[in-house]
Amino acid sequence: MSEVDVQESVEDFRARAREWLAENVPKRGSAEARPRGAEGGRLMGGSRELQRALYDAGFIGITVSKDFGGAGLTREHEQAFREESAPYGYLPGPNMACAGPMLTHASDEFNREHMPKILSGEHTVVQFFSEPGAGSDLAGVRTRAERDGERWILNGAKIWSTGAAHATHGMCLARTDWDVPKHRGLTWFYVPCDARGVTVQPIKEISGGQDFCQEFFDDVELADVDVIGDVNDGWTVTQTMLVYERGAAPGGGGGIAMMMRPAKRRLAPDLVALAEKSGRTQDPQVRQQIARAHINDFARGQLGRRVGQLIAKGVANPAGIASYGKLASGMLDPIRARIGLEVGRTSALLWESGDVDAQSASLNYLNGRIMSIAGGTNEIQRNGIGERVLGLPREPSFDSDKPFRQVVADSENWTGKVG
Amino acid sequence: MDLELSNDQELLRDTTARFIESVCPLTAVRELGGSKSPEGADYRRQAAELGWFALLVPEELGGGTVSGNGVADAAIVAEERGRGLQPGAFVASNSVALGLALEGSDEQRKVLTEIAAGEATATWALASADGDWSPGAGITATVSGAGFVVSGASGFVQDADLADWLLVTAAGDDGLSQFLVAQGTPGVGITVLEGLDITRRFSEVRFDDVEVPASALVGTAGGAAGTVERQLQVALALTVAEMVGAMDRDFEVALDYAKARTAFGRPIGSFQAIKHLLADTSLALEMSKSMAIAAAKAVGEGKDDATEVASMAKAFVSDSAIDLAQNCFQVFGGIGYTWEHDQHLYLRRLTTDAALYGDAAWHRERVWEFYGL
Repeated sequence: MSEVDVQESVEDFRARAREWLAENVPKRGSAEARPRGAEGGRLMGGSRELQRALYDAGFIGITVSKDFGGAGLTREHEQAFREESAPYGYLPGPNMACAGPMLTHASDEFNREHMPKILSGEHTVVQFFSEPGAGSDLAGVRTRAERDGERWILNGAKIWSTGAAHATHGMCLARTDWDVPKHRGLTWFYVPCDARGVTVQPIKEISGGQDFCQEFFDDVELADVDVIGDVNDGWTVTQTMLVYERGAAPGGGGGIAMMMRPAKRRLAPDLVALAEKSGRTQDPQVRQQIARAHINDFARGQLGRRVGQLIAKGVANPAGIASYGKLASGMLDPIRARIGLEVGRTSALLWESGDVDAQSASLNYLNGRIMSIAGGTNEIQRNGIGERVLGLPREPSFDSDKPFRQVVADSENWTGKVG
Repeated sequence: MDLELSNDQELLRDTTARFIESVCPLTAVRELGGSKSPEGADYRRQAAELGWFALLVPEELGGGTVSGNGVADAAIVAEERGRGLQPGAFVASNSVALGLALEGSDEQRKVLTEIAAGEATATWALASADGDWSPGAGITATVSGAGFVVSGASGFVQDADLADWLLVTAAGDDGLSQFLVAQGTPGVGITVLEGLDITRRFSEVRFDDVEVPASALVGTAGGAAGTVERQLQVALALTVAEMVGAMDRDFEVALDYAKARTAFGRPIGSFQAIKHLLADTSLALEMSKSMAIAAAKAVGEGKDDATEVASMAKAFVSDSAIDLAQNCFQVFGGIGYTWEHDQHLYLRRLTTDAALYGDAAWHRERVWEFYGL
């Protein structure tokens, strides 16, 4: 607020954004609009050129300080841009799950060096977070970074990194102290994907797709300047990351609250199409199931609005509140996918070779549990809601007070004895 | 429930909550047991002073809204009523008020003024005796001389024996018609029934070829379908608001219990089995709240999709309400099976609410019909 130069007014900014978008971006659903995957497309910047153009025009990093390559404007400017850009669907941009925590916790030196490149799309960053042995138990990571003179040496493995095959950098959580409790010995690093010792491999998923990767680190050399936040204070950074992930951060619009909804509601079109295919639109049971799915879809949208309102009001625990949206998806997606198979009957289970449309019900079924597992399972969301929103007492903990080294040993020799 | 209330709406909620707490708390609801005249004229007149029966009545007839959206305002009252399991045909009365405001003759609009002031009470006979809520399912009207003959039976008529006026929705050759029938009209037989819900009382009303004059007709003969639909929308929006209020309170008490009750050396709410059940239940509650808000908004603003949104809300909240009451029961364990604990009052009320103005399955079918499919 101490900036001397005159700031562009919100109205001028809004007008400029409207004009720029109309000239440079095809509207969602128009012929030129290129298909962008809902999540992967956004995170990875469906088009790097467009991200660069948006950045150069000052529409990315709107509230980020100029020192770090942003536009140095206000939340109101950002909100104005969000409103103007809504008709265009998802626009490419930096992965805020990484950029957000960096802006909050990384050193000025780090942000001056890297943030302009991240905002412009020159760097694309993914999370190196989950491990084969640490998913829901995020603080249980075993990838290690060890001090060696002036350097850090990274060893271990990560998995479920979205789009890492196309990323330039990973934001990697590693254990830097094994002799303190699990949450206290963690540190985040900025790891170039092309560094020596980094191997990125795509994973083939049950759907046949390859959206995720696993990474192996074999004596990867890192420097102090690559540390994000304080050494051994990685859990603080993680908390910020989770808030961004769930869309609960300021300017995040409340995650699912911002999910695009068609202007004119239709009765679950995909399911009605399946019922038409199986000739069962008049079957009372089919009608009940489809209406149930349709109503649940609508209710999720309304919940999203509510969650957004609660977060905008500044509730004490935005990440806990955001868990409601995540849990709703995690519980209702599998049900909806199953209804698709039931309604479509044979046509949903068997198709002529190469009939891509016909496969969608089966594909949805295979993907139906993504939201109930990825990014914190239903069970983790329920703990979050139960403990942080409802104020229920915590479970007894077997791993929070002793050195992580001891936690690992005890878990492998489990006796069931407490204390 | 609604996070964006105006100051005036907040005031309406606070005064309503205070009134219920001081005049008809749960201890009083229990004593009534649905068996005798529950609230009495004092309760009704005081409630009327708070505006309970006037929110859908035009200003020139003594009514008026708080926010401009009378349905949303009434939903605030309904939510508080639900929390405190209040007796009285609040939902039916407001639905009748809307019908009279839209279609009532001058004489009927005088009745409306009395309803708004709490001087007269009205209820609505819509469902058939066996619980079909399709308008006109149980009652027929035929032209007879200068008037009409009304025949059939209606179920789930709340406080029919106490009401000064009955609004009757009947099917005829030309379509739906509505009649405003006075208490004591010959041929109208009212049987007060006992039932699962002991916080309210419902009757079956039989119309034994009842002769009603043309002046009893509300609107035009055979032309009531649109008004009936709007009355139903209001009934749905207010019923889900009452339900959400009751759900919120039942859940609150169960949550407190899970924190206070210990077993195996721990508060039971620290066990994931209980914690996760409560988390799922609170998700259903939050979604139900957002559905109730959507319904009050769509119906109150007369949106094109009000029919669909009201039905979606009723379907969703009906299922969620029964789940919630059952889950809370499970958390309470044995104490929830005792008469002295309030849990069973909520279970009884919510399960009955789930059937009122159409159950979840009926409303899911209505959603298909809304799309003409």
